[in-house]
Amino acid sequence: MKKSAIFGLVVIAIAIAVIISTYSSSSTYGSFSDAKKTTDELHVVGHLDKSKELYYDAAKDANYFAFFVKDNKGEECKVIYTGTKPQDFEKSEQIVLTGRMTGKEFHASTILMKCPSKYTKDKVEVTEFKAKTAEI
Amino acid sequence: MDTAFKGEHLLPGHIGQVFVILSFGGALLSTLSYFFATTSTNKLDNSWLKMGRIAFWANSVSILGVGTMLFYVIYNHYFEYHYAWSYTSRSLPVYYIVSGFWNGQEGGFLLWTFWQAVLGNVLIWRAKSWEKPVMTVISLSQLFLASMLLGVELFNARIGSSPFLLLRNAIEAPIFSRPDYLSFIKDGQGMNPLLQNYWMVIHPPTLFLGAASVVVPFAYAVAGLWQKRYKEWIAPAISWGLFASMILGVGVIMGSLWAYQSLNFGGFWAWDAVENASIFPWLTLVGGVHVMIVYKNTGHSYVTATVLVLVSFIMVLYSSFLARSGVLGDTSVHAFTDLGMFGQLVSYVLVFLAISVWCVVARFKELPITKKDEDTYSREFWMFVGAIFLALSCFHLLLVTSIPVFNRAFGTKIAPPVDLVGHYNVIQSSFAMVIAILTGFTQFLKYKKSDITRFFITTAVYFVLAALITALVVYATGLYKLHFVFNLVMFGSIYSVLANGKVLADAVKGKFKLAGSAVAHIGFALMLVGALIAAGTRKVVSLNESGVIKMNGFDKAEGERSARENVMIYKNEPVKMGDYTVTYLGDSVAAPNRYFKVNYKRLDETGKVTEEFILKPNVLTNPQMGSEPSPVPDTKHYLLHDLYTHITALPVGTNTQAAAAGDAHGEENDDKNYDEPVPHQIAVGDTIHYRDGDIILKSLNREVQVQNIPITGNDVAIGAKLEVISHNKKYEAEPVYMIKNKSVFDFARKVEDAGLKLRLSKIIPAENKVEIVVYQQPQNKKPWIVMRALDFPYINFLWSGTIIMIIGFLLSIRRRNSELKTV
Repeated sequence: MKKSAIFGLVVIAIAIAVIISTYSSSSTYGSFSDAKKTTDELHVVGHLDKSKELYYDAAKDANYFAFFVKDNKGEECKVIYTGTKPQDFEKSEQIVLTGRMTGKEFHASTILMKCPSKYTKDKVEVTEFKAKTAEI
Repeated sequence: MDTAFKGEHLLPGHIGQVFVILSFGGALLSTLSYFFATTSTNKLDNSWLKMGRIAFWANSVSILGVGTMLFYVIYNHYFEYHYAWSYTSRSLPVYYIVSGFWNGQEGGFLLWTFWQAVLGNVLIWRAKSWEKPVMTVISLSQLFLASMLLGVELFNARIGSSPFLLLRNAIEAPIFSRPDYLSFIKDGQGMNPLLQNYWMVIHPPTLFLGAASVVVPFAYAVAGLWQKRYKEWIAPAISWGLFASMILGVGVIMGSLWAYQSLNFGGFWAWDAVENASIFPWLTLVGGVHVMIVYKNTGHSYVTATVLVLVSFIMVLYSSFLARSGVLGDTSVHAFTDLGMFGQLVSYVLVFLAISVWCVVARFKELPITKKDEDTYSREFWMFVGAIFLALSCFHLLLVTSIPVFNRAFGTKIAPPVDLVGHYNVIQSSFAMVIAILTGFTQFLKYKKSDITRFFITTAVYFVLAALITALVVYATGLYKLHFVFNLVMFGSIYSVLANGKVLADAVKGKFKLAGSAVAHIGFALMLVGALIAAGTRKVVSLNESGVIKMNGFDKAEGERSARENVMIYKNEPVKMGDYTVTYLGDSVAAPNRYFKVNYKRLDETGKVTEEFILKPNVLTNPQMGSEPSPVPDTKHYLLHDLYTHITALPVGTNTQAAAAGDAHGEENDDKNYDEPVPHQIAVGDTIHYRDGDIILKSLNREVQVQNIPITGNDVAIGAKLEVISHNKKYEAEPVYMIKNKSVFDFARKVEDAGLKLRLSKIIPAENKVEIVVYQQPQNKKPWIVMRALDFPYINFLWSGTIIMIIGFLLSIRRRNSELKTV
């Protein structure tokens, strides 16, 4: 066999290994009820329940942030994050949490939020306009 | 349109829009003319070529016109234009107005098309016989970019997004039905404060120049295949490929410097989808340059070289699609949202992909492919292997980053790996290890055939040497505690530095023109060393172990990943943090920043201060954006490590510029800010102990003056000279007791820094005592910050490696250019 053919096979083998390892380590988007059934970490997509209190008291513990999230199936769960409250957290439209259930609480290792403000600010500002016209 | 709007400046927009359309027309005409000039069989007829040139120049001038008009609009704060309103404000300094220019997507396209026009003009000037086919490709690419800026309606579909879109057309709101709406729009939205950084002034132009210049080797490859000049296109493409990879690499590193200096994720690389996308073309192009050199020297690897060069530009287009189409959605923090150009972006990618595929397929039979295998002990074989591994590394990044694209295309719901950073780190490190080792021993081989015994001896000697040094480094930095593969990368990088160091030493003695590759490889290996140690053995200095109230079942459940990294510090209360004693001294405002002065002291065993400095981590506020302040880190740079500090939480709504001390009237509300007052009856010289220290009554002052209150015959005013000692700091205060017109007043004094308010409430002449009332701020009303401090060891290797790599690239470009004789 030619050396280039052998090398080609090696490359194909590595490419397949990369695909498999990516696929096997890829996770799923789930709900809190999925999270209760498994001990693995997974992604939960939902939104912040703004009617409930966000708990962060630096004086008691600077690394404890708790809040309530409603997942896309409507189930609500208390979420605990070891860290401080992310910037503009209250404004988030959607939250993607990574983590697992511990007892009745979901312990998040990362929080990814989608905010309306940063790059598409237009929506937020329109309300500002209304306020300004109302003054006159 | 019926309404006549007042105060609008429509002229610059109209002129700008004319230039936008002109640039599109110029690019179209130039593409067609150059195409016919290339395919024309009449060698003497230069009319198509002339027309192509004129059209391309028209395109270039129009782009300058668009830029000038856009700058004019932004500079004069014409907020009737959506672009100016969205990205700038009146308070923005001029140098950030420049970066406001490329803040939006339209500005990004403008910058890209500008650089492509510059490159096109260079090619018209220098490319000689290559001009016609190469410029056909470049003009076509210009055509696509111009279309992104058009912003015209065609068959009910909007094509492109114009930077001269008016605010009233961009946003629907009742206010725009008023003819005088502009008088209510006093200011723009302002720039995202995180982008107000000097790196943001130069990073985007550099990155766009890098991305734009990838089109040149691509155009040469297409031209070579199209015109059947299979062998000739390689030489100029090597120079251009080196140039593009150098600029692109610098642009990417500038971005990570910006992230390190002004973002708060605590690092220089986050494996964000948009970041990854920016290095796809770099990886394939660097691979491509290597195999082009192989082909030039030995005639091997022609197809690999061609495909990698073609793929690189496709990667540029694909990464622009990822960043701008909104497809990344949930997975990237800094992707743009869809501006309605999804279809346009996709067709840009597909058209150039089709051209590439057609070139290779149609000409495949004629390509100069060698039938002979490379020798195992030849440089070309291992350079080829290295290029393939660069491509594989790109393939992995591409695969994971494209998960949202698969989801969108096939309706699946795959989520990226949970530990995404860990996944990337381990797999990319495996590739980096192979590549680093290859950059080392391949340098000991010669093209075609090498002396095998000699090769094995040198390789082995350097392997052993590298292994010894690696063992030392790994032990000293603590890298051995991490995943095994990181240690292998360290070995590979050190080996590469040593091997290339030898090559460099030989080159300095002998043929200096060979030094370029050795220098670039040393730079690359040092970058790996720096990135590896800094990211891998980063220490959290502010690890919070004390003063934690245990939550039930909380601490047990958490693994290593959620370490308690934040620490709360009250003002003027020193906290021990790692080797440092840290004190939050106070804050100051220099809009839009609010700086927090944090004093760091390092004490030796006897308690003597060996080192003291102040860091000012700050937060940026932008009231118009209505968002919370964004933290900006501050870093103390040492030669061998960096101490990085940033604010992670602040008291809600605190105003640390509290009222000045000495205001006693109607201050009942103020008392609510303090704990229950405690009266103390003391004589001169006595000491009051309180929670944070001592208060000593030094003396009583009978000649005290209170602002604007004259003291007449029967009035009495006495001041109590008090010394407050709190956390090794002394403060003075003088509360006043006064009898005026037979009424009693007392004037409290505040010691803000110690969180105290002091009153002299009674004089008790019989006991020769006075009554001092101590108001103390409860712990949670005292100003505080929560911060995180990280230590990045050896990060300077990353930055200095980059500079060395640039020098290597420059040397190589000089060498390849001197070899180049373009006809």
